[in-house]
Amino acid sequence: MSGFDCDVAIIGAGPSGIAAATALSKAGVRDIVVYEREAEIGGIPRHIHHPTFGLLVFKRPISGTKFIKALLKRCSNVRFETNTTVTALRAGGVLDIAAPDGNRRIRARHIILATGARETPRHPRLISGLRPIGVTTTGALQQFLYGARLRPFRRAVIVGTELVSFTALCTLRKAGIKPVAMIEENRRITAYRPLVLFARLMGVPIYTNTRITGISGREVLNQITVESPGSGTRHVDCDGLIFSGNFVGENTIARTSHLQHNQSTQIPQTDQNWLSSDPAISVIGNALHPADMGDQCYQEGLIAGTFVADLLVEKVSPTGAIMIVNHDATIKMTTPNIVRQQGDGDVRLNISLHVTRPYTGPISVTCGEQILYLKTRRCMPARRITLKNIKLTASQFETMSDLRISLGKPH
Amino acid sequence: MAANPSQETNLPSQTALMWDVIVIGGGVVGCAITRRFALAGAKTLLLERGGDILSGASKANSAILHTGFDAPPDSLELACMQAGYREYLDINERLNLPVLKTGALVVAWNDAQLAQLDGILTKAHNNGVNDARMIGQTALLSREPNLSRDALAAVEVPGEYVIDPWSAPLAYLTQAVGAGAQYRFDTEVLSGEFDGSFWQLSAAGQTFAGRFVINCTGTNGDNIEQICRKPAFEIRPRKGQFLVYDKTAAGLINSIILPVPTPTTKGVVLTRTAFGNLLLGPTAEEQEDRWNAPVERDILQGLIEKGVSMLPDLPQHEITATYAGLRPATQFKDYQISAEAGKNWVGVNGIRSTGLTAALGIAAHVEHLLMETFPGITRFGPAKTPTWPRMPMLAEAEPRAYQQGDGSEIICHCERVTRREIEQAMSGVVPAESLGGLRRRTRVMMGRCNGFYCSARVAELSSKGKISPPLAEDRDQ
Ligand SMILES: Cc1cc2nc3c(=O)[nH]c(=O)nc-3n(C[C@H](O)[C@H](O)[C@H](O)COP(=O)(O)OP(=O)(O)OC[C@H]3O[C@@H](n4cnc5c(N)ncnc54)[C@H](O)[C@@H]3O)c2cc1C
Ligand SMILES: Cc1cc2nc3c(=O)[nH]c(=O)nc-3n(C[C@H](O)[C@H](O)[C@H](O)COP(=O)(O)OP(=O)(O)OC[C@H]3O[C@@H](n4cnc5c(N)ncnc54)[C@H](O)[C@@H]3O)c2cc1C
Repeated sequence: MSGFDCDVAIIGAGPSGIAAATALSKAGVRDIVVYEREAEIGGIPRHIHHPTFGLLVFKRPISGTKFIKALLKRCSNVRFETNTTVTALRAGGVLDIAAPDGNRRIRARHIILATGARETPRHPRLISGLRPIGVTTTGALQQFLYGARLRPFRRAVIVGTELVSFTALCTLRKAGIKPVAMIEENRRITAYRPLVLFARLMGVPIYTNTRITGISGREVLNQITVESPGSGTRHVDCDGLIFSGNFVGENTIARTSHLQHNQSTQIPQTDQNWLSSDPAISVIGNALHPADMGDQCYQEGLIAGTFVADLLVEKVSPTGAIMIVNHDATIKMTTPNIVRQQGDGDVRLNISLHVTRPYTGPISVTCGEQILYLKTRRCMPARRITLKNIKLTASQFETMSDLRISLGKPH
Repeated sequence: MAANPSQETNLPSQTALMWDVIVIGGGVVGCAITRRFALAGAKTLLLERGGDILSGASKANSAILHTGFDAPPDSLELACMQAGYREYLDINERLNLPVLKTGALVVAWNDAQLAQLDGILTKAHNNGVNDARMIGQTALLSREPNLSRDALAAVEVPGEYVIDPWSAPLAYLTQAVGAGAQYRFDTEVLSGEFDGSFWQLSAAGQTFAGRFVINCTGTNGDNIEQICRKPAFEIRPRKGQFLVYDKTAAGLINSIILPVPTPTTKGVVLTRTAFGNLLLGPTAEEQEDRWNAPVERDILQGLIEKGVSMLPDLPQHEITATYAGLRPATQFKDYQISAEAGKNWVGVNGIRSTGLTAALGIAAHVEHLLMETFPGITRFGPAKTPTWPRMPMLAEAEPRAYQQGDGSEIICHCERVTRREIEQAMSGVVPAESLGGLRRRTRVMMGRCNGFYCSARVAELSSKGKISPPLAEDRDQ
């Protein structure tokens, strides 16, 4: 088997894909190509005009567009192909590619999936009502306003209170769209509490403990219905409805490939060095952990890229026994979700996770009877929690096939 | 839209504006009938209330091409279904319309249902569906290994297929336009007068004159019948809600999984779609409202439970869409198709839950009925030699535009719709003039992200067409 078209093919030119390309290039890997299906490089930050990026990487807040520009300055000797969609991922490093100048199949020595995350839109949330125009997501809204310079509506309600929901609020304000209200199913907002004040200063009410129970408007949205135990049923006039947050990985090509997936999350199995079940394929960024901050994804991409560079010169070996990381249902996902032994030694690693509801108390990592980690932590949804310095011994790899992460004391 | 001054005068003597046949309602039935008469040489006009064809029941169904195995024996419905089925399979390749030859399995999930299978098989054979046969649990589960082990046995109906429910009617109308037919959207017929030879229909501030009127208005059918006569039936809209699962789920089944029907409903079906998804539904809920079919969370959750009881692996797959359709049901089981002698009127009503299959057969029946009821006056121009427009192929199993390399980039990533496909849908023979029309012609925004990635690009592209209402306005205005 020979005949590779490139050394590393990266799918997705968001922060994590750009980072991996940068690290590979710095490490001396020559032939790196990044496929990006959009017309522009940058992933999600390319249409975010608020200073919600840069703190970790540049030590100062900058906008998403500036963040990407600055990242690209650090990235040289990398070929970016835009308007180019990877339509299938196959064993043996093979990719099917669709582009305006023709379709092709290429083969890479290593592939990195950096396909990012999106928000959960209306339908999978099973929201009751009709299907008028005007029901959208934050990501789509930002593309309307900043990419296409179009205004999709005039009065909008935001569903959700994650950080991204408040960026939606800013986006509306900037575009001259009236934010009518924010709606949260839980009793408290998901983002940092002081943001309640921020909304209040803007004169936007936040309805907590409230569910959306109806969408009206035959062609164009004209009203939604909301319900809360306190205030009963209310109607809110609006022509825009934004479902924000509740991120999911954009793992379409992984899902239909030969890769193994985590049974409960359907995220590709990925080890502590970002290698998937096929060691010639890495998975990085928010495809894996929807959704961490852009800076975190960038930093992760640098480390993962460096590991791939080492792999290509056989400094490290991709083979070894595998343990599955299992977890409670209140944990949304863990990164990594499998642990792979390197040769026959011990493994030390950090595991990050997100929770699905607020939790304060012990978190444990166990392997059979053995407790590998036990600490009291304060966890909020939509934020990365990292469990540091977990050690697995060679003998555990020999005898056990999984780890378990639990919220609560080990049994 | 500025009305043509000559159209404002009500004089039927203006022969240029005189239609042989005016079809009211552009559902699948109206489209098939328009095609039939246009090809027969009649000057045919279709008037549709919505901003596109398929603004009623025909936009939201299960998309199954039925054999009629379980239809009421000797009914008009059965005859039209079987004629429609045959004609579809005769013309679909020439129109580039897909057919997914899945076959169906009527599965029994308990002993009571098991006891009914024999009757279902006998009925199928009596209805001329001779290849239907019984299969036992072992064979059933080896064909459908992902079904719950509660599946006991099934009647296999190899001829039940899946089609593209939107491209088919669009093809019928496109072919009709090729034969000289015309259509008007956003044109709701409100009233009409018959002067003994001609109908004058009022719609959208204009008058349309025609010799024959064919009422195909679905859930509005009894109201529109009033223009001509007292309807012999009453529309009782019956809602059906659905869930669409992502393409990864389609592989969970091979055949259409049908339940053992009850007297009132065919029950909840699991089927693949032509577009490569898995469909779960419909429900059957009577309601008053004739126009609006909202989805309801509780009902959808009930559907999911039902789905999981049949396919335990379903929760591993993403839900991409929810929708509901309204069946134009009446108090009667059979179709309500009849001509009003002396009034040049045909009502085509109560095409409840099999109209996608039956449409072409209904069209043939209606042409026959017209000739029979109004002998002598049903002479039209010379029959047209049909042209065969090739529809854009949207089926997952067939080569799509992006795979053939149409020279443009993919805009909708979930459904892999190219820029050129979108542009063509807005400039074809029957161009999309509403977002719904654009979605149904291309599948744009129909995927798992519900437009997260592409809706802004679609809005931008659609501003170059005639899409109304627009998706957005210029931000700097
Ligand atoms: C609406 C929204 C708002 C956000 N706001 C913020 C914020 O303000 N601050 C912050 O820090 N984080 C924010 N995030 C989190 C965001 O996910 C990260 O900042 C970061 O963009 C993740 O980087 P990534 O490289 O993993 O993925 P992405 O940035 O999503 O990039 C993935 C790229 O892969 C491409 N791609 C996917 N599939 C294919 C394919 N098959 N072929 C070719 N290309 C493909 C995509 O087009 C995309 O460009 C937001 C996320 C969303 C969804
Ligand atoms: C849940 C569900 C599942 C189904 N599954 C299947 C299936 O698997 N296979 C199958 O073969 N069939 C199926 N059907 C049945 C099929 O969809 C219907 O039989 C068919 O769509 C009826 O078509 P129609 O043209 O009679 O009515 P409609 O599609 O309702 O068309 C009527 C049209 O008339 C227009 N109209 C109304 N009033 C006026 C007016 N005054 N002026 C102008 N225009 C007007 C409306 O806007 C509408 O577009 C299903 C139906 C439902 C609801």
